[in-house]
Amino acid sequence: MSRKPSGIRVVRSGGYIVHIDICEEVSMDCVKDMHKLYYSIKKEIADLVDEIVPGVTSIAVYYDPRKISGEAVESKVRELWLWSRSIDIAELYKPRRFTIPVAYGGEFGPDLQFVSSWSKLSEEEVVKIHTSRVYTVITLGFTPGFVYMGEVDPAISAPRLETPRVRIPKGSVGIAGRMTGVYGLESPGGWRLIGRTPLTMFDYRKNPPIPIHPGDEVVFKSIRPEEFEKLFGVFVGDYSA
Amino acid sequence: MSAVIANALVGNEPRVAVIEVFGAIAVHLLGDFVVSVTGGYPKVFLDDVEVEPWTPLYCRQGSTLRISPTGAGRVHYVAVSGGVVCDEILGSMSTYTRGAMGCFGRPLRPGDVLEIGSVDPAEVWERVSDLVPPEQLVSRHAKPEAPLTLRATLGIHTHLLEDVELLLRNEYVVTPESDRMGYRLDGEPLPSAKKLGRLPSVPTDRGYVQVPPDGKPIVLMSDSQTTGGYAVALHVLPQDTDFLAQLNPGQKVRFKLVDISEAEASVRTYLEEVNKPPLYRKELEYWG
Repeated sequence: MSRKPSGIRVVRSGGYIVHIDICEEVSMDCVKDMHKLYYSIKKEIADLVDEIVPGVTSIAVYYDPRKISGEAVESKVRELWLWSRSIDIAELYKPRRFTIPVAYGGEFGPDLQFVSSWSKLSEEEVVKIHTSRVYTVITLGFTPGFVYMGEVDPAISAPRLETPRVRIPKGSVGIAGRMTGVYGLESPGGWRLIGRTPLTMFDYRKNPPIPIHPGDEVVFKSIRPEEFEKLFGVFVGDYSA
Repeated sequence: MSAVIANALVGNEPRVAVIEVFGAIAVHLLGDFVVSVTGGYPKVFLDDVEVEPWTPLYCRQGSTLRISPTGAGRVHYVAVSGGVVCDEILGSMSTYTRGAMGCFGRPLRPGDVLEIGSVDPAEVWERVSDLVPPEQLVSRHAKPEAPLTLRATLGIHTHLLEDVELLLRNEYVVTPESDRMGYRLDGEPLPSAKKLGRLPSVPTDRGYVQVPPDGKPIVLMSDSQTTGGYAVALHVLPQDTDFLAQLNPGQKVRFKLVDISEAEASVRTYLEEVNKPPLYRKELEYWG
């Protein structure tokens, strides 16, 4: 992991966003630092700014330049960065754990075969490895309800597709290197699809529309196609394993 | 901004739902309404009489409003006094077709009937009949400058693109692969983007100029994804992204770098105007 000597790199852009780059490569250490800064900003200056959005190794803070300057936001963020270094994430956020049932392979996971041959493991072994870890939610985004998680076992960390698919069914579960993710909506995408969850990940009629937050924990559970039918449409927040 | 002005011209609050039109539309009016058409400079007919866009129109029950594009502008807005009735979702009444969310959750189809908020059209007409938007704004829509200058600040990855100068020196053309998610531009590619490939996904927003490995810029628009792994070269100011939305395939843009204080000043003006659209009485007396 490379990090600038000052710790973070800040770019102000567009006249209403302050970007904070925590590091240049993805690692769970970096993600942890990002979550600490994210929750510190939420706790300390949420009322001064409009929105705080985490990425994978960076954060965007939206502000209203009629109320505060980007320069002032940047200096507050730099203070919070130093402060967040000395505290434990548990002081800022108590993670919840979610279980996501997944039907692996076949029509549900058209790339399970690829991941199996890429990893030189059987499909069953790939599933076993995917379901045997507790993943940390890195961030949400891209489309509503897409959940980025890490860290995938290197043995099954297959690369993305060279050319993304135009349409991926909602609920698809994919791998992209050391990350795994769930597509909350039908969308285009380039992750290797190994399975599909019957759960509804995002429902705008619920408040909040998705109960999963950055820093939460996720475990995957392998289910049979019959169970997929039975659980289809259950909201992720209402499911208990 | 065009949608907000359309609302103000019919006496609505700025964020009330309007009809967004790519291309042509005919709307049959099931009651008396004050209506306005903005965005670009299309041809507008009330029954068979040609009328002006960017002005309040008193329309009688049973009449038909037709809009046909002229090439001046791409996205037109129809506001109706009382507003289109839609549920607010996550603070917005916009339709997001990819998520099947907002109002109808899909583009309108022939035969759809829209519910309109109840207001007295005669009373509205009394208040708005002599309102006009700033002439400069209308003429910019009627005849966009060519190439259109897009003011932009640096983006989060500008430092990784050593040839970003190419973006600032050359003209780029809007391609047909352009929609509410992003406008793809064609022109001199940035070779450095190929070397970069994918980066850890960063939060993204409207106006971000992404450069995928093929080196050709994509400007993210209103239905932009919220995170993205392509290099972000520049960030176009919101005011100018509005004007970019109005360009048709084949029209040209160029990027102009501005500093943060100029960008912040522009955003301040923009936010003021979005909340309180600049309109005048016909005698050129400032209204509001």
